[in-house]
Amino acid sequence: MIQWKNIKLILLRELKDQMRDRRTLFMVAVLPLLLYPAMGIGMVQMTVLFSEQPRNVVVLGAKDLPEHPQLLEGDHFVSNWFRMPSDADKLRVITDIDPAETSEAAADVTQAAERKAILEQARKLEVVLKKHQELLNQWEQLEDQDDPEQEALLANKITETNERLSKLFAESQIQVLILIPKGLSQEIERVSEKLARHEKIDFDPADSLRPLILQNNADEKSMIAYRRVDEAMEAWEKEILRARLSRANLPESLPTPVNPDVIDLAQDEQLAANLWSKLFPALLIIMAATGAFYPAIDLGAGEKERGTMETLLISPAKRTEIVLGKFLTVMIFSVSTALLNLASMGFTGRHMVNLAGSGALSRIGDLSFPSLSALFWIVLLLIPLSALFSALCLSLATFARSSKEGQYYLTPLLMVTIGLTVFCLSPAVEINAFYSLMPVVGVALLLKGMLLSSVNAGILYVYAIPVLVTSVGYSLLALWWAIDQFQREDVLFREAERFEVGLWLKHLMRTKDALPSFAEAGFCFVIIMLLQFGVMNTMSQAIQLATEAERPLRMMQLLMIQQLAIIATPALMMGIMLTTSMRKTFRLYLPSLGFLGVGLALPFLLHPLSLELASSLDWFFPALPAGTVAVLQSMSDPTQPIWLILLAFAFAPAVCEELAFRGFILSGFGRRGRVWLAIILSSITFGAMHMIPQQVFNASLLGLVLGLVAVHSRSLLPGVIFHFIYNSLSVLRGRISEEWVPTKGLEHFVSMGPDGLRYSWPLLLICGVITIVLLRWVLLQSKTQTDQGAASEPSVSAALDRRLTDTK
Amino acid sequence: MIHVEQLSKSFDDLRRGSIVALDSVSFDVQAGEIFGLLGPNGAGKTTCLRLLSTVLQPTGGSATVAGYDVITQPQDVRTHIGFMSCNTGIYDRMTAWEMVEYFGRLYDIEEDDLQQRLDRIFTTLQMQDIKDVLGSKMSTGMKQKVSIARTIVHDPPVLIFDEPTTGLDVLVARAVLKTIDALREEGKCIIFSTHIMREVEKLCDRVAVIYKGKILAIGSIPELEEQYHESDMEELFFSLIQQHEDQLAMKAQ
Repeated sequence: MIQWKNIKLILLRELKDQMRDRRTLFMVAVLPLLLYPAMGIGMVQMTVLFSEQPRNVVVLGAKDLPEHPQLLEGDHFVSNWFRMPSDADKLRVITDIDPAETSEAAADVTQAAERKAILEQARKLEVVLKKHQELLNQWEQLEDQDDPEQEALLANKITETNERLSKLFAESQIQVLILIPKGLSQEIERVSEKLARHEKIDFDPADSLRPLILQNNADEKSMIAYRRVDEAMEAWEKEILRARLSRANLPESLPTPVNPDVIDLAQDEQLAANLWSKLFPALLIIMAATGAFYPAIDLGAGEKERGTMETLLISPAKRTEIVLGKFLTVMIFSVSTALLNLASMGFTGRHMVNLAGSGALSRIGDLSFPSLSALFWIVLLLIPLSALFSALCLSLATFARSSKEGQYYLTPLLMVTIGLTVFCLSPAVEINAFYSLMPVVGVALLLKGMLLSSVNAGILYVYAIPVLVTSVGYSLLALWWAIDQFQREDVLFREAERFEVGLWLKHLMRTKDALPSFAEAGFCFVIIMLLQFGVMNTMSQAIQLATEAERPLRMMQLLMIQQLAIIATPALMMGIMLTTSMRKTFRLYLPSLGFLGVGLALPFLLHPLSLELASSLDWFFPALPAGTVAVLQSMSDPTQPIWLILLAFAFAPAVCEELAFRGFILSGFGRRGRVWLAIILSSITFGAMHMIPQQVFNASLLGLVLGLVAVHSRSLLPGVIFHFIYNSLSVLRGRISEEWVPTKGLEHFVSMGPDGLRYSWPLLLICGVITIVLLRWVLLQSKTQTDQGAASEPSVSAALDRRLTDTK
Repeated sequence: MIHVEQLSKSFDDLRRGSIVALDSVSFDVQAGEIFGLLGPNGAGKTTCLRLLSTVLQPTGGSATVAGYDVITQPQDVRTHIGFMSCNTGIYDRMTAWEMVEYFGRLYDIEEDDLQQRLDRIFTTLQMQDIKDVLGSKMSTGMKQKVSIARTIVHDPPVLIFDEPTTGLDVLVARAVLKTIDALREEGKCIIFSTHIMREVEKLCDRVAVIYKGKILAIGSIPELEEQYHESDMEELFFSLIQQHEDQLAMKAQ
């Protein structure tokens, strides 16, 4: 029995020990309290010192600008045209009007020279631009004639001038170039006059005289400058229109016939909440992870290095007690780090907003703290999150040979964590049933939701339970892994040895066992997944390239290739290279008749059950991607021969997937003797291979049954038969015509739904009962076999021990 | 009090493949006796003692310590042994008193009893002046004393010492050996490994010579000297090893 007294002793000692380490104390407690205020002050200072360089806007033909309303004033736009008048200073306007004519004479000689140079560049640009326009006009004329040679020639010239234009523009110091056509102001006046006299305007003034504006959207400077120019000119244009309308005695609201009145309901607390909802979950997760990491390293690998691990191991404390004591220590540090950082960030953020004063944040005013209920949720959700990170970090730290190696594990862990966090910060991502079950994502999204709308949190409480339960579940899994690490001699007494790939490979080849090892099974799965990802693109392209008619055939070909090349081949190759007995690894034995019967009967029973289960859970999963739907549809495509469809969808997967997952992978996972673990892991990997969530779930459940049958029958064959029949049933079900109506008593058991055949609950009940009976028989078989079989079948049962331990 | 029967342990090393660290080793140790495990580095001494302390699991054979089986009753074994080796270090940031007290508590000793025992042990081992010194600030000798104090705080009937004088200077080593001798007088069952001949000669009642995982000879020093017609323990030791090597060479051919 685990004694809490020992756990407490160890926990208190470790805590005291860490607190005596000044560096740890500094990192955990002092650093956050100092760092955020320092960063905040630094940022404020930098924004104060930051001044944007004015950008150059050149206006050629400025004398043709209408005088009322006035666009330019000296070397600025008139500040009225900007929402924020100070923006006018950010644009330096250089016109071709002689500075002596303007009210502000160029005071500086260098400034004058610069102006002159820029005007030169502008003029050059104008020349090339005019040429470009000419060429475009020629092009339009050519379009009527049909002269491909001339067209090609002209196209070349046009591209050439375009490039020259871009180049010149990029090399110049101009961010925006505005060319005002001659006679613009007169034209505007003419139209206004006509309108005022209510005369017919039978030409579109916009066609004749249009200012040209040159800018480069890819260049940030030009883009920002243009945005401002656009703002000013739009305002100016509106004013011209307003004046025009007023002159013609027309209402000013003419250009905006609808003109809705927009009311913004955003309240100050909500704006604040918006900020917190982005900041806090991210900070919480990252700080919980880093806060767990360094103490874990110290308590795991560090203890091994300092030689105090063995001192602890020879004490009466059980391994589990030791792990729990260390785990609690790490967790306390993780929680404290997260909370201290959060508090410090909160106070700093609030203070900074007060300092910042102007700008968009000013609406927030006095940034209020998250509500009490939000804070409660932060603390509540922090606990399983910390537990998960603490257990993971402790496992990694114990696994590492030295502190240095342990620290190398931090980077991948942090990257995964940050990746997940960034994903959660995206505004489109919200908590839903599916996300609530994922490890870190569920917590982050729930917290985001809670912080955004503590008033409207009612709906979110629905997700609170799944998130909490699964988070606790994941932390327990991680903790179990940590305890497992602590039980392993090779982990605790591993010395820092040089890892040489060559030696390792030789060792792998040299010491082949009958069955693959745990790691080899895992590696096989990784290879299968990588290959799947690798060819996904190529395969979808191949499907795209095929014509409509060919498509179903192509899909099936690809499916078969995928099964053979990506699933069966790695497993078989690894079997050949790494094991001494292909037969034992892939269970190539004949099973007893009973198991054959089970393999034949079970798919018929499980098909209705799993189908109904899948439909009832349809709401939970995200929608199927379009590609999958297409593939599934090709299954029931009546134009394709049935033997081909069965070959692709039933036979190939049955053989290949069984070889891989109930052959190589199941044997490998079961090497260390824990059969149930092997079955569970092989079904999880089997499910994961299918990648689409609905199929993952379905396949995992079936994988459990298949694994059970494979283990107890000691043969691959029942599984292959099962798999084949099961997949065939899915195919055949799709082929049942929609108009078919069940008759002659069948209507009690089946019905035709919108998606095809459906099964009613009497049928499901019968299937369920028979399934249970069969499975029970399967489980019992193993016991009687080991009792009787030891004498009669020495080669099989002795070699393939029920616990699947290796036969060295 | 220690009964070892056909105890074996093999490891999987990446470079060297499967290594047999201990090969069917058998011996007994009684209360009030010091049993020496003599052998060069890599002979299997540390492995054997780790197996007895339940830190490693045997891959063959069995052992009982203080009447408890190491495989089925490991926790009871650990409660009744005191173990010290160069791998059982002391904590840098704990004082001597705190360290021994911590382990005393882990051994379930009553608080008052514990305090009295601590006083007694600290006096006996002359550790009063380092009571409040942190581990990182101690000299090697002081650290060794703390380790010994930790080993005996719960008054275990069986004591296991793995090369206890490694890295110690002459004076400290002598003090350690004297302490072990005193413990024998108290009636403890002591097993102690070393590769230093002098220690064996001075302390051990009986000796087992161990080499490459096998016990080559076992008995008291006079017995062995008579059996192998060697008057010098050192010569005896080297000749046994040489004999074993010759046998291995012959088998290889």
